Amino acid sequence: MTISRIVLIAAMTLIGIGLVGILTRRHLIRIALAFTLASTGLNILLVWTGYLEGRNAPIINAELDGLAVDQIVDPLPQALVLTAIVIGVAVSALFIVVGVLTSRVLGTADVRELRKLKW
Amino acid sequence: MRTVLAFAAALYVSLFITALFTDADISDLGPVARTYAQNGINDVGSANLVTAVIVTYRGLDTLGEVTVLFTASTAIILLLSLHAIARRASPASDIVSLTARVLPAPILLFGLYIIAHGHLSPGGGFPGGAVIASAALLVLLGCAGGVAFAHWLPLAESFAGLSFALLGFWGLLRMTQYLNNSVIPLGVPGNLISAGIIPLISTAIGVKVASELSAILAAFRAKGWEE
Repeated sequence: MTISRIVLIAAMTLIGIGLVGILTRRHLIRIALAFTLASTGLNILLVWTGYLEGRNAPIINAELDGLAVDQIVDPLPQALVLTAIVIGVAVSALFIVVGVLTSRVLGTADVRELRKLKW
Repeated sequence: MRTVLAFAAALYVSLFITALFTDADISDLGPVARTYAQNGINDVGSANLVTAVIVTYRGLDTLGEVTVLFTASTAIILLLSLHAIARRASPASDIVSLTARVLPAPILLFGLYIIAHGHLSPGGGFPGGAVIASAALLVLLGCAGGVAFAHWLPLAESFAGLSFALLGFWGLLRMTQYLNNSVIPLGVPGNLISAGIIPLISTAIGVKVASELSAILAAFRAKGWEE
């Protein structure tokens, strides 16, 4: 069981739980929570795609001996995820605000009863 | 409907199992990452390649992502100014109010450290800004009247966003690319003052992220909590 496998299992499990939650839950806040879980799993999966066994963080300093190309993992997915995490916080907050305001204004946050969501 | 869902679930699980038991023989970087790893230290002068990608190679994307963050925070503040969701609040306990007096200063210092060392070690504007916003959360929770700092957030936010966009034009004035960081000497990679204007752009991103996240947190607070 390598680290790579463990991370992959964690990521796919989180995405799976999140997708099931988004599809089966009916309360908007629970859908928001499931969405957050799925996006966390997706971030882990993205970082996993750039991981190479036995390599260092993509920081070039004196501790690397030899060419950096043979020593470091892929910096591109890490850069993507670093911004995605912070944006995920804001988007989740927006999701929760919409959920709470829906229940305050319309009296329910159950997606079955929100007729305005359907056409 | 159930058949479709069951089919999708089966597809997902089989994809999962295939990925788990396939020994992908990837032992080398892809072409893009290879270019970054070979040329990053000479082109950008940033020891941390992740920051080099965020701020310089993919700087335009980062400008777009900061815009997404701005739009989300604007929407939250707009919605919460129409309908405040917090109805009443009990005063903070002694533990919380004492912590809110002691901890924000060290947290702020740590956030500034993360922002300033973004081109040397893991960090930069996004995580540093999030750390500073956690100090703002503590002030909001523990200090009566702590929401007063929220008046300054729109000013800090617009100033930081404007300076990020304007710093990019520096490269155009020098007849290179937008957001090129080598408009001032790159310096020795690994020093605190190095990597051209990356520390300046990191600071702008940090202030922008910190003020937007703090404004979101302040908007969640009940109106008239101070009374």
